[in-house]
Amino acid sequence: MSPRLPLRVQWARSSLPRRFASSSATSPEIYDVVCVGGGPAGLSLLTGLRASAVTSNLKIALIEGQDLQKNRLPQDAQLDRFSNRCSSLTPASVKNLQEIGAWSHANIARIQPYQEMQVWDGVSDARISFDWDSARSMLFPRKPTQPTTIAYMIENVNTTTTLLDRLTELGGVDILSSTKVDTIELGQNTEELDLSSWPILTLSNGRTLAARLLVGADGANSPVRTFAGIPSRGFDYNRHGVVATLRLEGPGRGGLDHKIAYQRFLPTGPIAMLPLPGNLSSLVWSTTPDRATKLKSLSPPDFSAMINAGFRLSPTDLDYLHTLPSGQADEIAWREKHMQVNESSLPMKVIDIQPGTVASFPLKMRHADTYTGDRVALVGDAAHTIHPLAGQGLNQGQGDAAALARTIKSAVETGQDIGSLLALEQYNSERYAENNAMLGVCDKLHRLYSIESGPIVGLRSFGLRAVDSLSPLKSFFMGRAAGV
Amino acid sequence: MASRSSSRAVHAFNRAFEQTSQRPLSKRQETASITALTIRCSSTASQSSAHSQSSVDPSEVSHFNNLAESWWDPHGPSRLLHLMNPLRHTFISRCLSTPFRSPLPQKLQYLDVGCGGGIFAESAARLPSTKSVTAIDPTPEVLKIAEAHRKRDPTLLQPGRLTYLNKSIEELSIPGAEKAKYDVVSLFEVLEHVSTPSSFLEQLMQHVKPGGWLVLSTIARTWTSWMVTNVMAEDVFGIVPKGTHEWSKYVNEEELREWFVKKGWGSDGGMKVMGVVYVPGMGWKEVPGGEGWGNYFFGVRKSA
Ligand SMILES: Cc1cc2nc3c(=O)[nH]c(=O)nc-3n(C[C@H](O)[C@H](O)[C@H](O)COP(=O)(O)OP(=O)(O)OC[C@H]3O[C@@H](n4cnc5c(N)ncnc54)[C@H](O)[C@@H]3O)c2cc1C
Repeated sequence: MSPRLPLRVQWARSSLPRRFASSSATSPEIYDVVCVGGGPAGLSLLTGLRASAVTSNLKIALIEGQDLQKNRLPQDAQLDRFSNRCSSLTPASVKNLQEIGAWSHANIARIQPYQEMQVWDGVSDARISFDWDSARSMLFPRKPTQPTTIAYMIENVNTTTTLLDRLTELGGVDILSSTKVDTIELGQNTEELDLSSWPILTLSNGRTLAARLLVGADGANSPVRTFAGIPSRGFDYNRHGVVATLRLEGPGRGGLDHKIAYQRFLPTGPIAMLPLPGNLSSLVWSTTPDRATKLKSLSPPDFSAMINAGFRLSPTDLDYLHTLPSGQADEIAWREKHMQVNESSLPMKVIDIQPGTVASFPLKMRHADTYTGDRVALVGDAAHTIHPLAGQGLNQGQGDAAALARTIKSAVETGQDIGSLLALEQYNSERYAENNAMLGVCDKLHRLYSIESGPIVGLRSFGLRAVDSLSPLKSFFMGRAAGV
Repeated sequence: MASRSSSRAVHAFNRAFEQTSQRPLSKRQETASITALTIRCSSTASQSSAHSQSSVDPSEVSHFNNLAESWWDPHGPSRLLHLMNPLRHTFISRCLSTPFRSPLPQKLQYLDVGCGGGIFAESAARLPSTKSVTAIDPTPEVLKIAEAHRKRDPTLLQPGRLTYLNKSIEELSIPGAEKAKYDVVSLFEVLEHVSTPSSFLEQLMQHVKPGGWLVLSTIARTWTSWMVTNVMAEDVFGIVPKGTHEWSKYVNEEELREWFVKKGWGSDGGMKVMGVVYVPGMGWKEVPGGEGWGNYFFGVRKSA
């Protein structure tokens, strides 16, 4: 069991400023669920609660610091420009979005399903390819009705807009947008009412809300987690993820109907190219902070050349190319003339970078000690941050949201107080082990592939080759990736 | 197997039912007597003299006062009861969903007897299908806990939703009109602590509306249940506080069934049972046939 600390003690350790008597003088507005954070996790939870008849009587508030309307994906968004924050939605996440009635609101033209995944080791070149046909044995070929999609590339803003549209359609949530949480404190025990276990939120607009259940969907630096005194442990990888929206020379090796995701493990971290509609692709290159800074400083032609090199040249060549102040494009063009590459197994070449999309962010691994406290539950990045190499961050948050909605539903059906630790136990036990396993696997992969030479390189390439030739094992891995 | 053991079981039950008349009262039974009820009953010495007619065992009383403090601690000694609570609703829903010609109203009125700290009463009061819950317990201390905990939830403070009464079932006046009675009368984990189950149940039955349900949970008197509750739960796992149960007071399901049939209750499918078992690490699980050897729920409908 995860440790539980009494909230009063936790409060004393909270970094949020504490307010005394004044705010408690006026009685707070009572809510069943107050969700802080209108990112993909928070919106998915609230949509799930509103979509179910059982939980539709709950009084719900959403507090989001940013302007939710302004951050919407415009209806007439051009198909030649894509946000640099994209996620690979698993079929399990999509299924949940369908179940809560959100998926039909998605801007489908901007979503790219992909049917194949090519993963290889940049040091040994051992390769593994994933697709549903090769994952199944010859004896049991894929039926035409079975899905061929491994996952769906979608901009985070498309996911949040989709959820917000559905939530607006359902109605019944007090959405407090552009509103920040100033303080969270425990309520008071008066003659009539004992709110000493209820979190009371004071908002930047002056309102005070009392939460039967306070949900922290407030991202990696979760103020709710701080309030609840739930420690979050982990480490920084000393790596940054460089993201950008890329234009390729064509729609990809499989054409428009068979899109392929590519990931190459380099000693500094994986470089991944994930397909978007048309000739576009999304880049996530995990690398050292120095190299991230270098890559971001390059001209678009040099940066494009570096990405192409990242999938083609040896780690030694790449080391050298990072030391050049500029001129990578010419240098790489010269080197490529003198080497043999099998282009058919590589992503199409990058020819341009969408202006304004090159960015980087530090990679962290964090896991909260528990997802629940008295009248508190954490979902999404507030509960865990994961290395992006499996593209599971957003999906884990969707899984959390669905599980918490289920837990709240069964608590309502059996008359439990949805904020009580007992009622929330099911959520914690359902999600904690699952997320921990995923965090562990991604972390170990990262460590395994950070090693450049020695026996382990041989072993890991053996690992990739072995996996590639073993259909059952592969379908297991794909199942995990697809969340089925 | 069930039928062979059942005659013996029925015999034991009848003996238990009749014991006050057939057997000389023990010292303990003299002080605590027949009329009042449950487990948690009349607590202190002064209390039991006040309720001189109380049927409840005073040795049970001090025991439950010790539990009171930690009643609502999810990891405290009442954890098993907390974990069982959702199943009570599952079982009640099963009883209520059985179709009958004269249906109960949309919004139901509950009477929870031996409510303790209010675990079931609170949850029943929160259900949207509930009109009101009246919850009674003769022990003032546990009722104080229940009242204090109710204050933590504004929903429960809505007028008429949840009323606690510091009363025994005998002290609760029986409504003149059948319509004014309760749709559901519940008695959870109480029967196994009662010295004279038959007269006690008869008291309860007077509060059930025609077409309404009497729902209870208890433990069968078998070697398995003796092992599980007294040795495993109390000694080995320590999950139930020592001295909570007295195995000889357990009542078997066949005993209940035959007794209610004699009373003319539960006809036309108006009798339901559900066996449950606690699996460490997994919680309470329904086990078909479990009523034969361990914890079980029993629901019986008063003919309309
Ligand atoms: C730069 C970047 C790139 C990423 N790229 C990928 C990727 O390619 N693939 C992938 O799978 N994942 C990626 N991730 C991770 C992914 O974005 C997250 O896993 C996902 O957004 C988490 O969703 P969430 O709802 O838990 O939290 P968030 O999306 O972080 O949402 C939290 C919300 O809470 C609000 N908030 C916080 N504090 C307060 C407060 N005090 N008051 C009011 N509101 C508050 C914030 O404004 C924010 O809207 C990336 C993350 C970052 C930072």
